[in-house]
Amino acid sequence: MKDDVTLARWLNNEMDENELKEFEQSPGYATYSKIKEFSAQLTVPQADMDSLYQKIEARKNRDTVKVRQLNPWMPRIAAMLVLALGAAYFFISTHVTTHFAHNAQRETFLLPDNSEVVLNSGTEAEYKEWNWAANRRIELKGEAYFKVAKGETFDVVTPNGTITVVGTQFNVKARNGRLDVTCYEGKVKVTTANKEEIILTPGMTVGFANGKNLQLPNEEGDAPGWLEYETSFSKVNLPDVIEELERQYNKTITFKGITPKSPYSGTLPMNDIETALETVETIYHLKATQTGDTIILTAE
Amino acid sequence: MKKDIPTGICEELTFANFFRSHAKSLRNYLYYKFGNEEQAEDVTQEAFIKLWENCASVPPEKAKSFLYTVANNTTLNQIAHQKVVLEYSKKGNHSHTDSQSPEFIMEEEQFKVRLQNAIAGLSEAQRSAFLLHRIDGKKYHEIAEILGISVKAVEKRIHGALQELRKQIDNIR
Repeated sequence: MKDDVTLARWLNNEMDENELKEFEQSPGYATYSKIKEFSAQLTVPQADMDSLYQKIEARKNRDTVKVRQLNPWMPRIAAMLVLALGAAYFFISTHVTTHFAHNAQRETFLLPDNSEVVLNSGTEAEYKEWNWAANRRIELKGEAYFKVAKGETFDVVTPNGTITVVGTQFNVKARNGRLDVTCYEGKVKVTTANKEEIILTPGMTVGFANGKNLQLPNEEGDAPGWLEYETSFSKVNLPDVIEELERQYNKTITFKGITPKSPYSGTLPMNDIETALETVETIYHLKATQTGDTIILTAE
Repeated sequence: MKKDIPTGICEELTFANFFRSHAKSLRNYLYYKFGNEEQAEDVTQEAFIKLWENCASVPPEKAKSFLYTVANNTTLNQIAHQKVVLEYSKKGNHSHTDSQSPEFIMEEEQFKVRLQNAIAGLSEAQRSAFLLHRIDGKKYHEIAEILGISVKAVEKRIHGALQELRKQIDNIR
């Protein structure tokens, strides 16, 4: 056996009575016990330790000067270590992890507690990995869907309000002074910039424009439409809808003439620019002309 | 700053005491390892000089492991390994001679010679561990510290050494 150490335990008198009896019956016992007995009588040739010490003394004094010269370096090395550690601490503790989703792109990442975050196009999210357990906050500019790990909690901070969550799935959209939050699972608490608190349960959506509650209808489905490239809008001003299209398709879209005022409610595809533009054209009586990456909307 | 006042191992008295309590063990260990008295003493001397040179940075509680680390790292390959020569203490013999028959004593003497040869034939690793336990009476955890290995590894070496010795002595091949 490779890991057998029974002989070592026997030699060190570690065996109990039963083990000992069994071992005494084994074929090698007679030899082993003689080895144990006689090896204890072995001695090693004696060395003259005093003369050895004299030799060391003689060399010690010869080398002393060299030793003293090395000493002044110790505090310097210690000081350098302290500085390096301090710098490392500062760097790590202030290091901010930033995730971007550029126009026409999406980005999915995990938070330190394994919660999943999906950033929609043109979105920025920041958090500190250092000491996440004590400082669970993520700063969001744009739109993101959060799938929070069971039992985990954190704050999503946006310019228009803070969302506090516990083991849940929800969507946050914070753009141009407007904040939309939809809860898909669990519970979500929204605190607006004017300290108004609203608790959301699954299916509920809340929207604020410049601090004013928009009284939005409930959202259907169990995940935001944009994940499947079918974004839904609820009472969204047309320029904001157009901005969303710009982000998703990475185009520049401008109005020529009067910009229609009435807000848009409904869905738009985010992977089919033709259909999206046709829908907007029909509803607002506009005409779209595309040159390169620029699209101009003209009133009919 | 009074950096000239020696402390810890740098103090003459501490160093001398440290030498008295550890030099012999170290020298014996090196003898088991090299099978050569001269080499064992040279490396012992070398290790203590290294300790003295570094006395300012080695705290007293780390001095022992420093000593053995230096000794273990000192490689001497200019002289080929020699046979480890060990003797039996006289008082061990006496307790038996009184009450036993001459044939028995002869057998015993033969066994002793076979044991000496078998020990000399062990691998360096097994012999060092085995003799540190048998001659210097070191505990397994102390041997582990000296060799820079785990207690479990020491036990494996002792176990292997015993198996090997028995094979040699009983002519099992």
